[in-house]
Amino acid sequence: MPATDFQGSFGRSLLTLRRDQVDSSHHHQPSTTMEVELDSFQRQVAEKFIDLNASAGENNLLSLDWISKLLDSFLCCQEEFRAIIFNHRSQISTPPMDRLLSDYFERSIKALDVCNAIRDGIEQIRQWQKLSDIVISALDSSHRPVGEGQLRRAKKALIDLAIGMLDEKDHSSTTNLSHRNRSFGRVKDNHHRSFGHFRSLSWSVSRSWSASKQLQALANNLTNPKPNDVAASNGLAVPVYTMTSVLLFVMWVLVAAIPCQDRGLQVNFFVPRHYQWAVPVMSLHDKIVEESKRRDRKNCCGLLKEIGRIEKSSRVMNELIDSIQFPLSEERESEVKQRVEELVEVHEGLKNGLDPFERKVREVFHRIVRSRTESLDSLC
Amino acid sequence: MAENGEEKLLAVARHIAKTLGHNESMADDILQIFSTFDGRFSRENLSSEGQEEDGSTVSVLERTLNSLDSQISRFVASDHPIWADPADSASFLDSIDELVNVTREWSHLASEKPVAACLSRADEMLQQAMFRLEEEFRSLMERGAESFSVNHRFHSDSEEEEEGDDGYGDNGGDVQIPVAKPLTDYDLIIDALPSATINDLHEMAKRMLGAGYGKSCSHVYSTCRREFLEENLSRLGLRKLSIEEVHKMPWHELEDEIERWIKAANVSLRILFPSERRLCDRVFFGFASAADLSFMEVCRGSTVQLLNFADAVAIGSRSPERLFKVLDVFETMRDLMGEFESVFSDQFCLVLRNEAVTIWKRLGEAVRGIFMELENLIRRDPAKAAVPGGGLHPITRYVMNYLRAACRSRETLEQVFEESNNGVPSKDSTLLTVQMSWIMELLESNLEVKSKVYKDPALCYVFLMNNGRYIVQKVKDGELGLLLGEDWIRKHNAKVRQYHSSYQRSAWNKMLGLLKVDNTAAGMNGLGKTMKEKLKQFNSQFDETCKVHSTWVVFDEQLREELRISLARLLLPAYGNFIGRFQNLGDLGKGKNADKYIKFGVEDIEARINELFKGSTGARK
Repeated sequence: MPATDFQGSFGRSLLTLRRDQVDSSHHHQPSTTMEVELDSFQRQVAEKFIDLNASAGENNLLSLDWISKLLDSFLCCQEEFRAIIFNHRSQISTPPMDRLLSDYFERSIKALDVCNAIRDGIEQIRQWQKLSDIVISALDSSHRPVGEGQLRRAKKALIDLAIGMLDEKDHSSTTNLSHRNRSFGRVKDNHHRSFGHFRSLSWSVSRSWSASKQLQALANNLTNPKPNDVAASNGLAVPVYTMTSVLLFVMWVLVAAIPCQDRGLQVNFFVPRHYQWAVPVMSLHDKIVEESKRRDRKNCCGLLKEIGRIEKSSRVMNELIDSIQFPLSEERESEVKQRVEELVEVHEGLKNGLDPFERKVREVFHRIVRSRTESLDSLC
Repeated sequence: MAENGEEKLLAVARHIAKTLGHNESMADDILQIFSTFDGRFSRENLSSEGQEEDGSTVSVLERTLNSLDSQISRFVASDHPIWADPADSASFLDSIDELVNVTREWSHLASEKPVAACLSRADEMLQQAMFRLEEEFRSLMERGAESFSVNHRFHSDSEEEEEGDDGYGDNGGDVQIPVAKPLTDYDLIIDALPSATINDLHEMAKRMLGAGYGKSCSHVYSTCRREFLEENLSRLGLRKLSIEEVHKMPWHELEDEIERWIKAANVSLRILFPSERRLCDRVFFGFASAADLSFMEVCRGSTVQLLNFADAVAIGSRSPERLFKVLDVFETMRDLMGEFESVFSDQFCLVLRNEAVTIWKRLGEAVRGIFMELENLIRRDPAKAAVPGGGLHPITRYVMNYLRAACRSRETLEQVFEESNNGVPSKDSTLLTVQMSWIMELLESNLEVKSKVYKDPALCYVFLMNNGRYIVQKVKDGELGLLLGEDWIRKHNAKVRQYHSSYQRSAWNKMLGLLKVDNTAAGMNGLGKTMKEKLKQFNSQFDETCKVHSTWVVFDEQLREELRISLARLLLPAYGNFIGRFQNLGDLGKGKNADKYIKFGVEDIEARINELFKGSTGARK
């Protein structure tokens, strides 16, 4: 078949070739539908990411809302991918598809672990929310002027929050009790005591698990499908590669945004430009990498926009409280009120968004499992 | 007029008391003296509300606050834990209660500036008190948890004594669970903390929740108990494994892990979580929402950890050898569903309950997946691997023993397959039966294909007979037989009989044909010659066939006998008849003796038949 003569870009070219072949024979063969199917898939992926790029305005990129959209896009792409595999299940147990799909599902298991780690991270954020809630209720002086006791309470919660939001690497030296050995004894650290015993949540993964290593493993050997494979699989190798890339990208974004153990963003992520979706995906990738290098976000524990807002408003509040001297001037009081309002705004946004977000992550998990199970079943 | 006068009198009395009384108690004493003079000088009249003078109204409040302030400040400033002394703690709580009451009583006058100032001060005092209370709460929780040693009740025997390195075994307030029941007894009810401690915590929580410190209180509580739970889980040997790690683990290691998990899951759901629930309910008694929320916070992490492992097992490999352990996990989840429902019955735990159900269902899917994998295994077993001598094929043995073992868990399997979305059960067969029948069909098809590898069609039938017989034997007496039904067994027995006939036909019909005696005697002339020829052919064919067929194997004794008997019944009469005729023929030419051509006597035939299917020593199954 002439397909093997093609050099370079395969995604569209092969499909174009097949279309020509079919047209010349003047009747509908299964390959026409297939081509249309595969082409439509590429287009859909591209559209989704163009859309995500467009909505990634200054303050929206890596917000809960935007990431939820990303997850929705993933779910759509995955559905279509599932359908394609189902429609051509007769091919999936023969080489090279058997190997390619099995590879995809091995990677998707790694993605499942990332989803679980993200769930932990969301719980971590919830703990911070609790603390900011305490700050808010301490300073919510709608009926009385702010007193020393209230400030003290707010301050304590703010310190706990600051400790909690330290990047994981710095954390181990203080209170992370998941690093404890099996002794049941507690470390009564006096210094620690004055901070009010903030205890971080322990991760549900072992100490040696690493998000960055997981991502690297996901990305390992992910290359544009070889011409032989594309030809031998009637073009199905291309959607597999596409879906894998999308999966990798989504997991990478989640790790970038949400706190998790050994968070690292160093992943070799490159997509050949001829794919319709390559440009929008790489553009988002670059934007996020840039975000991660910003001075104020370099050492944060998660690039989620809301985390940044909590961090900022709690830091400002902390500074304000430190600078307060009693008796409180009216000016100071109104300042406090203002800061509280800011904190409330951030808090509310998170409060409403976090639960649905967690559900969505869980949905992603379940769908990946289902897709894998179905393929395994189809191999019968 | 008189009223006015009276009021003036009271005002004067008050004034005197105030100026003469250097402190509150002195002023009180003076008022007391006045009251003995005249009923109008009662304490109530002198200090009741509703007086015109705002100053004295507020001053009452001020005095109360002063008194409370001194009490509370004393406690707040103290270095020693207040709860070390019951008298102290009671006094502290009383002060707080009074403070709260006073605040409530006066809050409707908050619009008045002096009152507002007092209330502000009162709030400040309350904050200080709460701050301290939170500290006390925390340290009481931690102290209480330390003296609770649940470890060696739940350890397996091999665990070492850990009290030494913990350092808490030395604590004076060591409260061991006074139970030494064996691990399998889950009826054990334990008190997570000493009763007195729980009461203290409750009293503290009550005040904190009442004063708007509920979130902090709940936070401290949950953090402390959560860690305690997680420690316990790790002491039960439960490791934190990712799905990938479970996926890649060598099977024997995973088996051990599953055993540990089953123990941990049972202990958690039947003992630890209910205990935490009771503790929550007691500490937060009267505040149902706080109790529910705190409980969820405490148990969430551990529950997720348990469920994650079960999920990983469900998602993992479907290798058929895993069936029994996966069934164990399935059954554990099934048996614990009731506990999940009751322990996580509140609104906040709905998510956890749903997760548990999802994962349980996934385990069912995994079991069905394992059977599908078994089907694949059968289908893919190569056709060319034929057994020499037509004996029992390893795949037959594997599948039949596997299914027999699987059917010991029939009840669970029925449950698993009823959940399946595929397959339509008819009214007289369950989905499990359908699955089993299908596997049998696959096995038989595979065997049929294998049988065609044999060049000799007779051997092909022997192979099918052997394997068919084995299958029926393994099905007959056991759950598998009940599942497949009498009909199935009958049909398969008939099949084996069919193979038997086919064998006879293909191997022996020709020979039998040779032994036919033509009685029409139209060609009596030369009959001797024909018979001589036929006998010669018979002799060589018989010899050859016996040689070969003796190396074949029929493992089933009964079947072997049946074959021999049936063959004997077929051949012996015919042979005897033939030989008889042959010997009576006169026309053998040139006075040749008939006996010269007779190689085998009837007994010899019989003897050779009885040597059949013994198999060469190497071909023993």
